[in-house]
Amino acid sequence: MITVLNKCIGCGKCVPVCPFAAVQMIDKRAVINEACTLCGACVQVCPVDAIIIEREDPIHKDFSAYKGVWVFIELEHIHKKGKAAGTTIQPAAKKIRKVAYELLSEGRKLADTLNEELCAIVLTDKNTGYEKEIGAYGADKVYLVENSELEEYNTDVFSTVLVALINRHKPGIFLYPATIMGRDLAPRVAASIYVGLTADCTALSIKDGLLLQSRPAFGGNIMADILSPNSRPQMATVRPNVMKLSEPLGKAAVVIKEDIKIDKSIKRVKVIERKIVHDKLSAKIENSDVIVSGGRGMKDINKFKVLEQLASSLDGMVGASRGAVDMGFKEKSRQVGQSGTTVSPKLYVACGISGAVQHIVGMKSSDIIIAINKDPNAPIFNVAKYGIVGDVHEIVPKLIKAINKRVNSR
Amino acid sequence: MHIVVCVKQVPDSAEIKIDIETGTLIRAGVPSIINPYDHFALQKAIELKKAHKCKLTVISMGPPQAKSVVQLGLALGADDGILLSDRAFAGSDTWATSYIISKAIKKIGKIDIILCGMQAIDGDTAQVGPGIAQHLAMPQVTFCEDIKIDSKKIIVRKLIDDGYEIIEAKSPALFTMIMPKDFEPRYPAFLDIHNSLEKPYHQWSMCDIGAQEQYIGLKGSPTQVDRIYPPPKREKAEMISGGVSEAVEKIVDIFEKENFLKI
Amino acid sequence: MPSMDTISRELMLDSLRNYAKKNLFHEFLREKDANNEFPAEILKEMYDQSILGVHLLLIPKEYGGISGGTFDVYRVCEILARIDLGIATGVFATFLGTDPLSVGGTDEQKEKWMTRIAKENLLVAYAATEADAGSDLVNLRTRAEHVLKNGKLIGYKLTGNKQWISNGGVADVYSVLAMAPGGSSWFMVEKGTEGFSPNKHEDKHGIRLSNTAGLSFDNAYIPKENLIGGVEGQGLTQAQAVFGYTRVMVAAFGLGAGWEALEVAIKYSQQRIQGGGPLSDKQGYTHKLIVPNAVNLEAARAYIEEISERLDGGEKGLQTEGAIAKYAATESGNKTAEDAIQALGGYGYTKDFSVEKIKRDAKITCIYEGTNEVMEMTIFRGRWQEHLKTRGRYYIDMADSLQSLHLESPEVGADLAALAARALAVIMEECRAQRLTRHQHITFKLGKLISLAELAFIFAKRAAAVEYTETIKFDRNVWQAMSRVYAKNAALQIAAEGIALILGAAEKDIDLAEALNFNTIQALQKGLISDMDLIASKLKDTFKAK
Repeated sequence: MITVLNKCIGCGKCVPVCPFAAVQMIDKRAVINEACTLCGACVQVCPVDAIIIEREDPIHKDFSAYKGVWVFIELEHIHKKGKAAGTTIQPAAKKIRKVAYELLSEGRKLADTLNEELCAIVLTDKNTGYEKEIGAYGADKVYLVENSELEEYNTDVFSTVLVALINRHKPGIFLYPATIMGRDLAPRVAASIYVGLTADCTALSIKDGLLLQSRPAFGGNIMADILSPNSRPQMATVRPNVMKLSEPLGKAAVVIKEDIKIDKSIKRVKVIERKIVHDKLSAKIENSDVIVSGGRGMKDINKFKVLEQLASSLDGMVGASRGAVDMGFKEKSRQVGQSGTTVSPKLYVACGISGAVQHIVGMKSSDIIIAINKDPNAPIFNVAKYGIVGDVHEIVPKLIKAINKRVNSR
Repeated sequence: MHIVVCVKQVPDSAEIKIDIETGTLIRAGVPSIINPYDHFALQKAIELKKAHKCKLTVISMGPPQAKSVVQLGLALGADDGILLSDRAFAGSDTWATSYIISKAIKKIGKIDIILCGMQAIDGDTAQVGPGIAQHLAMPQVTFCEDIKIDSKKIIVRKLIDDGYEIIEAKSPALFTMIMPKDFEPRYPAFLDIHNSLEKPYHQWSMCDIGAQEQYIGLKGSPTQVDRIYPPPKREKAEMISGGVSEAVEKIVDIFEKENFLKI
Repeated sequence: MPSMDTISRELMLDSLRNYAKKNLFHEFLREKDANNEFPAEILKEMYDQSILGVHLLLIPKEYGGISGGTFDVYRVCEILARIDLGIATGVFATFLGTDPLSVGGTDEQKEKWMTRIAKENLLVAYAATEADAGSDLVNLRTRAEHVLKNGKLIGYKLTGNKQWISNGGVADVYSVLAMAPGGSSWFMVEKGTEGFSPNKHEDKHGIRLSNTAGLSFDNAYIPKENLIGGVEGQGLTQAQAVFGYTRVMVAAFGLGAGWEALEVAIKYSQQRIQGGGPLSDKQGYTHKLIVPNAVNLEAARAYIEEISERLDGGEKGLQTEGAIAKYAATESGNKTAEDAIQALGGYGYTKDFSVEKIKRDAKITCIYEGTNEVMEMTIFRGRWQEHLKTRGRYYIDMADSLQSLHLESPEVGADLAALAARALAVIMEECRAQRLTRHQHITFKLGKLISLAELAFIFAKRAAAVEYTETIKFDRNVWQAMSRVYAKNAALQIAAEGIALILGAAEKDIDLAEALNFNTIQALQKGLISDMDLIASKLKDTFKAK
């Protein structure tokens, strides 16, 4: 229910911001018509808090109309490689982020279990045939909003559009990437429409028709299963590299163009400068195929450095556990785990890492995990494919030698 | 200008332990700390207050002992402190929590800037800040490393995937903060802690802030915890035995077989 | 002065811990310890009002301090001791140095000196000890002679030597005890006073980060307004008035040093695998080196907290109680530090691990502020008076109250604590009847047994309390198990040692077993091992190795 209170001063600010032309000024007072989707854009701009959206009592809500699994498709700008550090980013073409495919792959399974459709949500200034790639990862439909105001991400614009789409099409489940963009956007949407949102899920499934969202809690020491039984859509964010990609199919998704009007005035913050930093240090660990990680067991910063040699002989990067980062062995950007980065390289070598859950959730989906630890009971051996019990300070230097010998003998 | 900084008391994650047999958390002896991201937000707020003569209110939600983080804020330089504490708040998820805090901020009155930590280390959700902004119909910028006030504009430096953005916002607005690598948390001196007892401090309940019962606590939270359980045990690794040299050769064999050796 | 609220106190302790975490790590302390170096810059920062300002704790609010109470001081001392006992001693010396002033100073003197100490972050030293005057200050040799001008007293000339003065070489201002014509008196002496100079820094076994030096006075002129209280002859009264709580501070040092060492050992024991499992799972290790120490330290904590609360509540003196706290906590702290070296084996014996230094440091707590033998004597004297005054009812009354506590809270070991108190009453009465206190050995031993009984009493009482203080890191059932173990041991030890004392000295043959309820004490030992098992396993959980 949306109501305009008597304190409306007729300033008219709410009229242009409505994406659906649902607000009119009649007798110097805002009047809301039936095109309203309860997106709340007008509430946000009203200077006197005269517009009120009242929510229905969730317990008595009928959810039968809410169907379909939605995935928010995050687009990223393509930068030219080799740009010097600190250069301003020029607007460039955009592509779909890999995490979107991961979410589609997972969303497909959920949609199949529910026997519902999988839909991708694309907000962009220009569609460049995204439906093909999206379809390849299982989506049935793409809800496409094309508008020049969507060239760049803006919280106000994107959240307003998503709320409008949700109110219009009523999805049952809505998944977002737990990226800088997704984590900015999803809670805004959830707060707006009073629905549950579970952050950083590591597994999703369907339980009695509901979305069962599993995530580590309390620093990853324990797992929690979360349900949002009394609100729709059931929303969740998932970190990149957590869900496995499915095999691409040769089908395209059906594009459904959504007509939504966007007024500039709802953008309340402005990006005045954007810089990218391209240098070796900022190379991202989640993109590396081989990661050699060290934990507290590396003892000190100098002993930790031997891992750099091992990583370089395998053409990989060095990661670290939270403990090692806390002790200053490695910078925070290389921290693997729940509170750092989630990775899934082809090879993960864990050296002197005992394997707290908080670390394990960040690397367990690596293809091959090799663990070296002196404690035979270290939990890291429960996720590793291969384990060696022994002193890392003895093994790692020998390993480097052996690799070099083998490579040279070829 | 009036700044509100939101802080949370969290268990020190470095000290969290788990009972392996029962899968429950061992709470005894685990110290509570201010969430480090909030600590950064608080210090930034104090810098702004000093540079621009703003009024600074520190607010937290939690059990009565969470007064500690509010008092920390006062001791470090905030002007007044508010603790939202009520049994009815217990079990609130991020939605209900942001609703409660937004109601309290509305009660405070006209606010120009709200600062929050990017996320809390006990939940890692990063949802409460944007939630508060939405409930207050304010714009937001998340993951900010720095914030400055330039006449009427607020300029923040937001982290993005491979760099940063400089963003301009007008008050009122909410910002969530993430500390840079070299952040050094400050702790108050004894005298500042002592003197903070004389600063205005309020504890507000559900009724005080006019929150509606149906939107708070366990009942008002759209997400529900279905089950808590220890992380699943996985199959044990294939242990490579033998002496060190032998084991090392076996690993190199695996590297070779899987094509990890440089050509 | 009452103590602060828990939250404010904990915030101060957090600030202190975080300061230490950033600045006082093991390598730094180890280097200073090896070089026998006083970390002047650290003390300066710790006194800096804008960084920490720890010294403000003992300065009243009206002079720019924060008016801390005994509980506050106990906690700060405990945490300081966990960081480094040498630095702790440097801070403590300032606390101690301001005591004669707070006890005996005139309002003008307090205003002048306290304000300066607070604002100028002055390091203070407490200078009483001399070569022939330790705990016994009767042989004081430093003289304060009148200086007259036109027949009117204008000041004093101090001549003599002081020994083992903490902060002696580095303090900005000294409280000096000297014999004036009217009797022993305290004087405020500023550094740089002509005729006064500190001697060289001692080369000590432990607390090597604490500056310790002798002081020499050769006709050093002190104006008469620096005579504390303005009246001569008040020195000993002023010195003794604060023993109750200064000894609580040293007790807290023993507690802090002991727990620091024990935590290192508990964590080590989980990582050291011997015979197929961690040492922390082996009774032969835990029940000898870990559990008894944890129990004794927590008993001492309970007692320190009880006395702190009583002092904060306005009770005066409490010299016997202060002595019991100091004696019990420092004996336990020292023993724990020693056992921690044993617990770490060869590693513990090297300087790579902190326990080696803690052991050397902790020893001083058994020596300064009155040696523990002086404590045994003080405890005996204080309680012997009570025993005589109450016609032997003192410990019987304690036993009766424990008996009724046992009915309400059967899980805290109050029944055994009652048996301990009752046995002590019997032993003391037997000593009186047979005039055995003519043996000094017996009186000192009684001091020890008294300490056991009183700790058992207070531990049981506090373990039964509805709410625990914020300092208790254990769940109720664990702390209560500790109280039971302590009471079991106290009852057994008092009965057994009491028998040995009396039968060893008495001329006639007597059988005390029945009077001491020896059979019941034996029977109630039941469950001791399972309690110790529980404690061992919970210590492991509470101080989990990373």
